[in-house]
Amino acid sequence: MSDLLGFVLSGLVSGALYALLATGLVLSYSASGLFNFAHGATAYLCALTFHELHSGLGWPAVPTALLLVCLLAPALGWGLDRLMFRKLARAGETAQIVATIGLLVALPALGLWIVELLADAGVSVAPAENQFGLPGVGPSPAKSWQPVDGVGVDSDQLITWVTTAVVAVGLWVLMRHTSLGLRLRATVDNRSLVELRGMSADRLSSVAWMLSSALAGLAGVLATPLLGLSAHDFTLFLFVSATAAVLGRFASVPLAFAGGLGLGVLQNLVAGYASFADGITGFRTAVPFLILFAGLLVLTRRQRTAGTAAADAPPADYLAGRSWARRWGPWTVAGILLAVSFYTVTTPFWSGLLAQSLALSLVFVSFTVVTGLGAMVSLAQATFVTGAALVAGLLMSHGWPFAAALAAGTCAAAVLGALVALPALRLGGRALALATLALAFLADQVLFQTGLLRNGDTGWAVPRPVVGPVDLGDDRAMGVAMTVLVALAVAGLSALRHSPSGRAMLAVRSAPAAAMASGVSVIRTKLLLFTLSAGIAGFGGVLYASYSTRVTATDFTAMTGLIWLAVVVAAGVRRPQFAVVAGLVYVVVPHLLADHVTESAQLPVVLFGLAGLALANDPDGYAAAVSTRLHRRRTAEAPSAPAGPASPPSPGAVLELRDVRAGYEGAAVLHGVDLAVRPGEILVLLGPNGAGKSTTCGVAAGLLTPFTGRVYVAGVDVTRERSLGRSRAGVLLAPEGRGIFPSLTVEENLALHLPAKEAREAVYTRFPALAARRGVGAGSLSGGEQQLLALAPLLQNPPQVLIADEPSLGLAPRLVAEVFRLLTELKERGTAVLLVEEKATEVLDVADRVAHLSQGRVTWCGPRDQVRADRLTEAYLGAAAPGARRTPRADAEEVPRT
Amino acid sequence: MSRPIRTMTVAVAALLLATACNSAVGGGSSDKAGGSVRGVTADSVKVGGIVSMTTATGYSKKDTDLGAKARFDRANSEGGVNGRTIDYLGAEDDGQDPAKNLAAARKLVQQDKVFAIAPMSSTTFSGADFLQKEKVPTFGWGTLPSFCGPTYIYGFGGCMVPMPGGTISQTWPEGLKQVTGGARGRSVAILANDSDAGTFAIRTYRQSFASAGYEVTFAKSSVPAGAVPSDWSAYTKEILRSDGGKAPDAVVSVMQTPYNIGLFTALKRTGYDGVLTDPTDYDPALLAKSATKKALDGVHILLSFQPFEQDTPAMAQFKQDIKKAAGKDVPLNMHMMTGYMSADLFLAIAEKAGKNLTVASFQKAANSFSDTGTMVGDRAEPRGRKESFGCGALVQLKDGRYVVSAPFKCYTPIPFK
Repeated sequence: MSDLLGFVLSGLVSGALYALLATGLVLSYSASGLFNFAHGATAYLCALTFHELHSGLGWPAVPTALLLVCLLAPALGWGLDRLMFRKLARAGETAQIVATIGLLVALPALGLWIVELLADAGVSVAPAENQFGLPGVGPSPAKSWQPVDGVGVDSDQLITWVTTAVVAVGLWVLMRHTSLGLRLRATVDNRSLVELRGMSADRLSSVAWMLSSALAGLAGVLATPLLGLSAHDFTLFLFVSATAAVLGRFASVPLAFAGGLGLGVLQNLVAGYASFADGITGFRTAVPFLILFAGLLVLTRRQRTAGTAAADAPPADYLAGRSWARRWGPWTVAGILLAVSFYTVTTPFWSGLLAQSLALSLVFVSFTVVTGLGAMVSLAQATFVTGAALVAGLLMSHGWPFAAALAAGTCAAAVLGALVALPALRLGGRALALATLALAFLADQVLFQTGLLRNGDTGWAVPRPVVGPVDLGDDRAMGVAMTVLVALAVAGLSALRHSPSGRAMLAVRSAPAAAMASGVSVIRTKLLLFTLSAGIAGFGGVLYASYSTRVTATDFTAMTGLIWLAVVVAAGVRRPQFAVVAGLVYVVVPHLLADHVTESAQLPVVLFGLAGLALANDPDGYAAAVSTRLHRRRTAEAPSAPAGPASPPSPGAVLELRDVRAGYEGAAVLHGVDLAVRPGEILVLLGPNGAGKSTTCGVAAGLLTPFTGRVYVAGVDVTRERSLGRSRAGVLLAPEGRGIFPSLTVEENLALHLPAKEAREAVYTRFPALAARRGVGAGSLSGGEQQLLALAPLLQNPPQVLIADEPSLGLAPRLVAEVFRLLTELKERGTAVLLVEEKATEVLDVADRVAHLSQGRVTWCGPRDQVRADRLTEAYLGAAAPGARRTPRADAEEVPRT
Repeated sequence: MSRPIRTMTVAVAALLLATACNSAVGGGSSDKAGGSVRGVTADSVKVGGIVSMTTATGYSKKDTDLGAKARFDRANSEGGVNGRTIDYLGAEDDGQDPAKNLAAARKLVQQDKVFAIAPMSSTTFSGADFLQKEKVPTFGWGTLPSFCGPTYIYGFGGCMVPMPGGTISQTWPEGLKQVTGGARGRSVAILANDSDAGTFAIRTYRQSFASAGYEVTFAKSSVPAGAVPSDWSAYTKEILRSDGGKAPDAVVSVMQTPYNIGLFTALKRTGYDGVLTDPTDYDPALLAKSATKKALDGVHILLSFQPFEQDTPAMAQFKQDIKKAAGKDVPLNMHMMTGYMSADLFLAIAEKAGKNLTVASFQKAANSFSDTGTMVGDRAEPRGRKESFGCGALVQLKDGRYVVSAPFKCYTPIPFK
């Protein structure tokens, strides 16, 4: 019994640290949608700083810890948010994952580099290597007690428990009982709605990152006695604590916190009682990752689209339709030059280096299959490489010829890939990435510890093959052979991309539901992609091993796989040729830096981490950015239609759109929309599906910046203002669907808009239905109640302009009437209402004026009493009814033509 | 699509043809560059090193470089080897990364054109095959299998990984006998990490301690290798009951420092007063911290070289050399010793190779090399490619300093089963 108690109590120590880290993960994730792989690195950086300040410069422990946790760590979080996280929130999920992986290696290196520089400058810093038994905040060595026989507690553990408990209470108060906490929770719920409500989501995200960083810093300081100064251990610790974040579904701080505590205990219990697994080498080591994997499988909600990362739209291909020579000419020439260079200019060292980078490029190309084509983030590619190389080496040691061993290794990797994919495919994006990571660690710690496969630390010899007259033992021949293989792989994958199956894969990537409807099996396609990618990785792995002439089980670890992914995505993961660029850069650049720039091993790592910053600007990678930027420069040079001097806004209009052309990347939706809304009127915008109604709302509310044209609010040009600025200028958008925060209660939803209690009471008096449910989560209200909740607070505090995007959508007629009554009331209080609707008949009753939008143009605008049936028909059918075609322009005097 | 494929096929065919012709004509590497021996001039020999200095785990061997430099500096101040000074380029940092280890080996040989590599100290040695193929004499810490077998790769203390058909060094149990007052009736428990390496260590030391006469009551590789456990009670309980319900006379840990700190602290808290011993914690820097000083107090630590505390002329020379190379008094550690002795073995063999230094003459000299009484004991090649020189000592951390508990001595190894 005391065994059990001991396991539980000491499990709570790592549990507390997991809880702190997991809470930070959830906070930052919910503020910006980013799973921060670098969270552990932040903790490490703080541990390092604490060590340097406390042990190196002799600062007292507690004030130093407070300074770190309350000041330095939040400052770091703020800086990173400003520099990259904020921009990344708008990039695709792959770019997000990768950018933080870059930080994961860059932050520790940055810290160590600064220590190096300080040491060179003569500051008495303590060395950061080989540090064990470091002091924490408490006494060192720790004092220990035995409250119960056989159960020991020491001062470091006690400090961890107490601090964590205090933090838990503090966080609870902050999140539940302060307006900052309320706004933070609103951001978690719906970031863009927060902006539409006039709160700066960016600033809230900064706050969340500062909090998250402070928690990481606290975990770092507390973990120093336990983990020492190993960036690697901190990162492993973080991956384990990700399980707790998964438990909180990346949204619930209390669940994540409790999950962290439970995780520590569970892990201790399993380790303590796992004697059944004594025969399996590595089982106990792998326990945390088993828990992570199981947690992901059990706890992650089934996604609608198997395994796909968040849908990120593919970048426009500016070379599409160009001639073959234009598209492939430069690459072919580069390939031939590279091949020729092996026998002409390169020194033996560079031949080897280039051959190595090409072998690695083959591995890298596998990422373009699984991540580029499949939009799945696999962090297990290194596992496939190791698996294939070990199998090939094992077989060659039994006398198999190279080609057969290569084939067998490739197949083994493909099988391993399918095995990894099968359970993982039911997970989406981030969960899939974490699951593959967990499996990669499991493979490292259990599968590759099997003596038969591993052959100890010796590994297996993988001699280079001799093909006919070509002896690949010569680096130059190896280099040329690799060039040919890489060219074949790139050509093959490009051909695949343009084949019917490739199109099916792309379809699955960009629109899984549509693909399914067209008879493409999403699961099968994804399984195929995963298997193919693992096979390619394995193929490249065997060749890489044959370049090194040996493979050991520790050559490519799970962490290596993480870094590879970052390197490939930094270059561009959508085209195989970019992966080749990544391979060359990864191997060659560190040597160039070492030879010409700096001796420090840290700087190249820091620079590499900065690729994450670059991704924030070019989410598709630097290789892809070349063509995009060239194209942009070209189009910028081409004189676009000059906007001309802006004509002054119409007097009397509080919101005015003037000749607005807008749309989405590459596709214009609005082709010159003119609209003006005056105070105290309801302008109803009618139009068929696809006419551009919601786009118009977006432009008016600042969600979308128009290509050309102007937007005026009360006579002021606000064209360049984003939604936050617009809402602060008094323009409010009630977006399509419900403009509420579903996880907040009714009361909290109101409080966001009406901080004063009296104002909220007034709302309850006016809408008793809401009063009855003030403590209920808004998400569980009926559709009509939700719409009322969204609009009701406006009555207390009427905005200048309200843009209501189909507020009656999906509501019963009685509720529609109530919503419209509410809008009328707002109008009477002076609000200019732009009401977008499809239900033409009911809406005409409340309209003062009506505008018809069709194919991105306002075709008619006039007072309600001039609306004729044929115009309504036009509004619905999107085509002018025969009689409407001759509508005299004189009718539409409100439409200014420029 | 047909045109690109045709173009590509033609290009590929042309390239393959060119490769075939060229690899038939050119190819083959030689250690002779421009008629002279790689890295050797009339008055100098170029030597490089590979050491893991920056790592993500916070474990660094960077002082290995200083050790080697100290030894080479002295050789040069004494006039070099057979009239040639040693041009030591310093050590490349491999960051414990196999790819970088190989790249560093290639750079030193192909770009810097070194004659030999000393020291090579890392947790990975993927450059071994390349160095063997390019015939580069390489000297380092023989804790990796690559130091066992290949003809150009030398461990400064011999090959320290027991190989099939090879031997196990008995320094640890034999040394421990002096602490426990013989092995008769004494029991030991051995604990290692839950990994393939840990399993191998258990297999080795179980045989080693048993054949020295100890009763091995517990031998498990069960401590998670990924991160240091925060709770050791699961392991200590099992160990403390292993000798028929009693605690064993000695606990042998085959793990790294952070693990030893945790394990030993936990054992002491239970009131265990037997012998604690491990092979890694000989680092005077550990004495600088009160936590480690306390955790490791009383622990007997295995060394495969003469302890710094043993007063011999060679040790005095070592300390003097290190101080000179560092430019000031620095705390000594075993990485300095590995670098120093790697360089020392290279110098000793190069000296024997005589004035006409080539790879062939060097290898010839190595094949009948032997000397005695060094800081790693009696050295002999090619014996060192098969087994360790079998010498070692135990030191005990006592009241904040190390004291020799079993003086440096060489023992006869036993066959590895």
